[in-house]
Amino acid sequence: MQDPELLQEGLGLMALGMGFVFVFLGVLVFSMTLMSGVIRRFQPVPAPAAPRARTQPAASPASQDDETLAVISAAVHRYRHKTRR
Amino acid sequence: MDKLVTLWEGSGLYNLELGQVVMLAVGLLLLYLAIYKKFEPLLLVPIGFGGILANIPEAGLALSALEQAVEVGRPALLEQLASALGGSLDSQASVDSWRTSLEQMMAGDATAQQIAGAKAIASGAGYGDGMLYVFYTVAITSGIAPLIIFMGVGAMTDFGPLLANPRTLFLGAAAQFGIFATLFGAVLLSSMGWMDFSLNQAAAIGIIGGADGPTSIYVSSMLAPELLGAIAVAAYAYMALVPLIQPPIMRLLTTKKEREITMTQLRPVSKLEKIVFPVLLLILVALFLPDASPLLGMFCFGNLMRECGVVERLSDTAQNALINIVTILLGLAVGSKLMAESFLSVETLGIMALGIVAFGIGTTAGVLMAKLMNVVSKMPINPLIGAAGVSAVPMAARVANKVGLESNPHNFLLMHAMGPNVAGVIGSAVAAGVMIKYLG
Repeated sequence: MQDPELLQEGLGLMALGMGFVFVFLGVLVFSMTLMSGVIRRFQPVPAPAAPRARTQPAASPASQDDETLAVISAAVHRYRHKTRR
Repeated sequence: MDKLVTLWEGSGLYNLELGQVVMLAVGLLLLYLAIYKKFEPLLLVPIGFGGILANIPEAGLALSALEQAVEVGRPALLEQLASALGGSLDSQASVDSWRTSLEQMMAGDATAQQIAGAKAIASGAGYGDGMLYVFYTVAITSGIAPLIIFMGVGAMTDFGPLLANPRTLFLGAAAQFGIFATLFGAVLLSSMGWMDFSLNQAAAIGIIGGADGPTSIYVSSMLAPELLGAIAVAAYAYMALVPLIQPPIMRLLTTKKEREITMTQLRPVSKLEKIVFPVLLLILVALFLPDASPLLGMFCFGNLMRECGVVERLSDTAQNALINIVTILLGLAVGSKLMAESFLSVETLGIMALGIVAFGIGTTAGVLMAKLMNVVSKMPINPLIGAAGVSAVPMAARVANKVGLESNPHNFLLMHAMGPNVAGVIGSAVAAGVMIKYLG
């Protein structure tokens, strides 16, 4: 048996395999982050409204919250007004 | 009286060999573990039962037509087979030694043409392929069964936690160290002269450390089909033992303070991201590692069916009916490899020992990687979720959650641990691709 050769090949495969797994998953992390970034920027569907508020609560300015509050209360007011009549 | 003797000589009791008795006991042990101890019952029940079927004396359920003819044929037929294989039988020797020398001829230098000729003679004499042999050919030799199971796993997997925190992929990568360390261990054992594993066999054994049943079966069917029975049994048995193997290692490697780390809540992931992810993964596989494309291709396909939302019926079938059917076939086919001649050897013990080492090293590497990431990154990472990097979905994630709850009853790590957990599935499939590329 060529023992040293077998050992060497085992070591080689270990280094190559581990290295490749890390590189591949590294590339995957990179492209996933990129993909998520692109999608979250360019997707104007109503779904992200909730996530955005939750992921960056500090970033959303207070004035916008006030505005939303005003709109909602106006709507509620109107609705109540209408149903009472 | 002669008739009685014939009947007796045809009975199982007369033909029972010691090896078969042991293997029947092993089959019963697997059934016991599956039914009473609830060890991966979905697989160990079919595997155990298949193992029992394969070892019924004289039935030859796990043998091809030719092997059956050699095993039980009459002397005249054996002579015919020998001449077809281009050899001759020693007329002085006993019939039993004829059989062994025929087996050597088949394993040795007979050409494909000679084997085909002998096969024709065997089937002409009325021997057919055994039932389990047919299952094995259809399900495993072709590679179909592990791949379909992988598709089902893809259809069951939610990549949300991974998409929310992509860096946990590195934990899944680190845990694959178990695979390669075990490979090296197997090579080391054979270079020390304790066992005799080739590099291909060592690679197939290493994959046990990926804690992923279908991947182990797929790789060993390609690289070392002769060890498939032992490898599959080791892989599934240890997957069932994850809740026992992992926690001591996790506790040993982490301080109580580290285990108490709470992680920031995951951001919600949009549907579009989930749909794009399998396609993205597939493109990367196609670009970098085409050899992993059977496994990861089916995995991505299953996941796309789940996430795209327009083929509910297909996704439902892949997750339930289809995966169950294939599991039955796969289990029986693996059971057919539990034959005394191939299973009862020192190598099997070696595989069992290396398998548990593989799990331990994988867990260790995952936890250590998580600790390292904790030092480097700003976002806190609880090292326990590193242990979920060995695939074993969702068992490993549940273990991480449980150990976390022991330290801090309000710290739910399950969703955080699912990220590295599914990363481990991808990681072990990539590792499998590298091995197949390198050795196949």
